[in-house]
Amino acid sequence: MADIAVQGLSKVYQSRAHPDGLLALDNVDLAVADHEFVCLLGPSGCGKTTVLNVLSGLEQKYAGEVSVAGRLVSRRNGHSFRVGYVFQEPRLLPWLTVRGNIEFALESESIPGSEWRKRTDNWLNRVGLADFAESHPHELSGGMQQRTAIARAFAVDPEMLLMDEPFSGLDELTARTMRELLLALWLETRKTVIFVTHNCFEACFLADRIVVFSSRPGKIRKEVTVELARPRNYEDSRLFELSVSVTHYVTGKQAA
Amino acid sequence: MQQGGERVAIVTERAFPLQQPSKLRWLRIPEAYSIRIASLVVLAIVWQLASLAFTERYVPGPVSTFSALWDLATSGQLMKHFEVTMIRMLVSFALAMVVGMAIGTVMGLYRRAEQSLDLIVMVGLTIPGLCYIIVAFMWLGLNDRAAVLAIAWTTFPAIAINIWQGVKAIDQRLIDMARVFGASGWRRTVRVVIPQVLPYLMAAARFGLGIIWKVTVLVELLGRSDGIGYMLNYSFQMFNMADVFAWTIFFTIVMLAIELTILKPIERRMFLWRPEIRA
Repeated sequence: MADIAVQGLSKVYQSRAHPDGLLALDNVDLAVADHEFVCLLGPSGCGKTTVLNVLSGLEQKYAGEVSVAGRLVSRRNGHSFRVGYVFQEPRLLPWLTVRGNIEFALESESIPGSEWRKRTDNWLNRVGLADFAESHPHELSGGMQQRTAIARAFAVDPEMLLMDEPFSGLDELTARTMRELLLALWLETRKTVIFVTHNCFEACFLADRIVVFSSRPGKIRKEVTVELARPRNYEDSRLFELSVSVTHYVTGKQAA
Repeated sequence: MQQGGERVAIVTERAFPLQQPSKLRWLRIPEAYSIRIASLVVLAIVWQLASLAFTERYVPGPVSTFSALWDLATSGQLMKHFEVTMIRMLVSFALAMVVGMAIGTVMGLYRRAEQSLDLIVMVGLTIPGLCYIIVAFMWLGLNDRAAVLAIAWTTFPAIAINIWQGVKAIDQRLIDMARVFGASGWRRTVRVVIPQVLPYLMAAARFGLGIIWKVTVLVELLGRSDGIGYMLNYSFQMFNMADVFAWTIFFTIVMLAIELTILKPIERRMFLWRPEIRA
């Protein structure tokens, strides 16, 4: 587990439509403490995902400094720490079983083979997929596939967990169960989490702290610390009020 | 979980695809096979009837065809010409696969290569194999080098197109996933990229073989003095219809055998994970 420091992060995308470059992130400073659950909240196209891609090493060209656990993220060699990433889509390898998919991540992170079985069984158990270890992804529902992706991210015992709108492709009822599952796993493991979302209520329900982004160029507009005690309850009226005021920060309107 | 129970049922069904109830249960032949066998029997009957209607001289029946085949086999001619044809085919197939895979991969990876080669590959696919064969023989003489070159040349565009499509269809998002979890470039290639291209590679091989059968006999007919194509032409010159039928049916049996004993099992092993397509 690790603390994350981002200083003066800027990113320009060059493309045919924007030959002069499109500024996606403009001088973003962000500090995340060890064990903290931070949500990056903002409209689509505000550069939230770019932040995750820089942290995970997928994005190599940027300006600014990024360090994880005090070590600078190397632009050439990628990362020297373990990352758990849950994408918007499950991104499972369709020709491998659920177990095979998790073992692929363990193998990629150079975790000794003797541990695979124990770790995989343990995490499949925790996400409620113990009976589906030998199934292939296409035999599972969308929610079950995303559970597999979550188990995969936790199984590598990551120093930081990056999540990119992982529940936005699911129906609301499934998404609710998944959020509760995620919080339960997080309370147990206390991984450092950066969770990207455009859903204000989701951010309030999950986060210790919400970082609100404005779009084009992506800048931090506001930071909100969520004081609500855990475990949190969907029916809590304070949660609802908070999400209303956070929504105003996102849309830029004044609170009524 | 109720949904869970349903899923388990699907899994079990998938595991035993051949255990469907069969009308020929007393023979213990699964229905999928019995229908195919029945269709072959019907074909043989129609063949025999046609032979009776049009006389053995024009349509040799199954009996005279197989006895002609037997004569060819016992005289040693069958194996001799089959071997020659097989070698020509395999060498040109290997050549066409190598060239087709290289060109298809480059086209799939680089936009510039795609733009400069796509029309050429299309044109290459359109020109009749006969033209390549004649040109090759005129340039290189009536030898096996020209034969193999002509066969490979006719075949590689179809292979290149399949590989090109396969490389283009690679899902970058899965490669990114592997990178995030720390997979090295080698592991990403072997475990994530190649499995995605395999179905297209299989299709390319199948397409390639289908073309190669037809072109090889044509090449042998035009410019070689051995091989099955040459023998077909020889039988034609003698107006020996039974031998024409015998060579054709032998060729068909060999093709079927390759399909059933090599291609199908490889495919089944490779794509065991795939969802069944249900009508």
